Amino acid sequence: METVAFISDELAQFLESGLSIVVATRDGELQPDGAAAWAARVHEDRTHLTVYLYEEAAARMLRNLTSYPQIALDFDRPTTHRACQVKGLYLSSRPAEPWERALVYQQADAFAADLDAIGIPGAMLQGWKTWPCTAFQVRATALFEQTPGPGTGERLP
Amino acid sequence: MIPLERLTSCFQGVIPSWLCTCALDGTPNAAILSHVDYVDSRHVALSFQFFNKSKRNVAENPKALVRIIDADTMQVYALKLRFVRTETSGPIFESMRLRIEAIASYSGLKGIFKLLGADIYEVLSVEQVEYEAGLPNAVASGTSGDTTRTIFTMKALQAFSDGIRDAATLDCMLDNALETLERIFGFAHSMILLPSDRPDRLELIASRGYPEGGVGSEVGFGEGIIGMVAEARKPIRISGMLRYMLYADAVAKRTKGLGIPVSARCIPLPGLPHPDSQLGIPLLVRDELVGVLCIESDQPYRFHEDDRAYLEVLGGYLAIAIQNALLRERSDAAEDAAAPPPNAARVAAVQPPSRPTLQVEYYQSDECVLVDGEYLVRGLPAKILWKLLNEHSAGGGAEFTNRRLRLDKSLQLPAYKDNLESRLILLRRRLAERCPEIRLVQSGRGRFRLELASAVTLASRP
Repeated sequence: METVAFISDELAQFLESGLSIVVATRDGELQPDGAAAWAARVHEDRTHLTVYLYEEAAARMLRNLTSYPQIALDFDRPTTHRACQVKGLYLSSRPAEPWERALVYQQADAFAADLDAIGIPGAMLQGWKTWPCTAFQVRATALFEQTPGPGTGERLP
Repeated sequence: MIPLERLTSCFQGVIPSWLCTCALDGTPNAAILSHVDYVDSRHVALSFQFFNKSKRNVAENPKALVRIIDADTMQVYALKLRFVRTETSGPIFESMRLRIEAIASYSGLKGIFKLLGADIYEVLSVEQVEYEAGLPNAVASGTSGDTTRTIFTMKALQAFSDGIRDAATLDCMLDNALETLERIFGFAHSMILLPSDRPDRLELIASRGYPEGGVGSEVGFGEGIIGMVAEARKPIRISGMLRYMLYADAVAKRTKGLGIPVSARCIPLPGLPHPDSQLGIPLLVRDELVGVLCIESDQPYRFHEDDRAYLEVLGGYLAIAIQNALLRERSDAAEDAAAPPPNAARVAAVQPPSRPTLQVEYYQSDECVLVDGEYLVRGLPAKILWKLLNEHSAGGGAEFTNRRLRLDKSLQLPAYKDNLESRLILLRRRLAERCPEIRLVQSGRGRFRLELASAVTLASRP
């Protein structure tokens, strides 16, 4: 039976703060694939998340997820390299609703501001396609410390 | 398959890459990578610094996917990989190690932030991700290399060569070289360091583009990019330094948090306060390290692979010229020629004194000179200055020759390759920066005159 991971308030705040979000999936041959997500929302039960991917990126990930629901979400803040990995199970997907657009833009803008602070200016990010998005519902099964250094990869309580 | 050679801009470490792997139980994993290195037309290398989940995954399932981003166009490429082996020596490992250790030394993390191995992956496919096409109307990948090639024309190389060839003294040659690097090639911030009289240390002898000058600044072998270049005698190019430094900083914080001691001594970055690109070139004549040339910029992707290659060639030429100049000036000094000053521009009128008297102290234990309580210079240049001031004070005159210094046993110059001329250049420049009331003015080949614009009191300390 899959375990359920509980996301603390502090961690939820971090995950929703506008980060680099990488979605990893795999196919039946255990070939991994990955795509960017632009935003995340932790549900009130603190065990489920919604992540938002540009629709074409989402379609690519869904090719794997519909048959193999294991999913990994890597969250990383470029200026501090604080990072966390959420392992989980993909549950469902739907087109993101209009009210979620502001949420996606807000987090993508925060991520862009963070990139600007490390010398990657906003002008270089003009090609980002952030909308329309597909929303993935994910159940978190494990949380891992991903900040580089000794102890990276340890399970978070 | 898109040739990896077309993706040069993706392998600069400017934009972070991602690595996706999968455990045998089917659990995927994602990780941010600091750098993906090009190995050859079929292979890339990823740095292995910590035992992490990605490492464990590829050990049991060699399939991986890495996403790299063109730093010029922001086009994303997805590379399907197969893990082949981990290398712990050889040219790829060394190139990655030098870059990482240079960053580590800036952060006080030497020995902690280090390369354990270079993980070599075979590239099975390269996909241009259509929906992440990067900047609209962006130029095609690889054009950055073309841009640099247009800088390194035969005419430009000739200008560099002329500047070195026409210099009457080593002093002029160093200035000409750095001036040409800026005027012809656009490298506005540069410095040359020569070996110090202390073992395994370099001293900055000429710089351009820095208000503070910095002559006499010391760098130990293995410290920062300059020290690593000197230690390894290999060029190092770092793009996106700010990102690397932040990565190292994250490691430092985590390391301290786990109670692992981190060296409190951080090596301050020489030159620009926040350089984002650095390129260090060893100046070598056969196996002998003559010096290090370092250029830097606050742009994250300023120096390309072509810059490194061309500057290595120019550095080779400069190294031979420096070594020849040192030998020639030593030979001239031996003849004690009374030739006219080679660089009249440097024989200028004494500056008006800003201080009526100077308190000069020599600390024997540290072999360093302080003026009015401020550090001026150490080592052989300090001993030379102390000797000159004392002789002058004792009524011995103001005219000196290199030959006389060379024969003076109190200076303890080595019998072979004493580098006296470079020490005198350093002392002259250091005085001009920090104590203009004392000047060493060249009065002929191998001759110079001590000029004092202030009264000097001397005190020797233990």
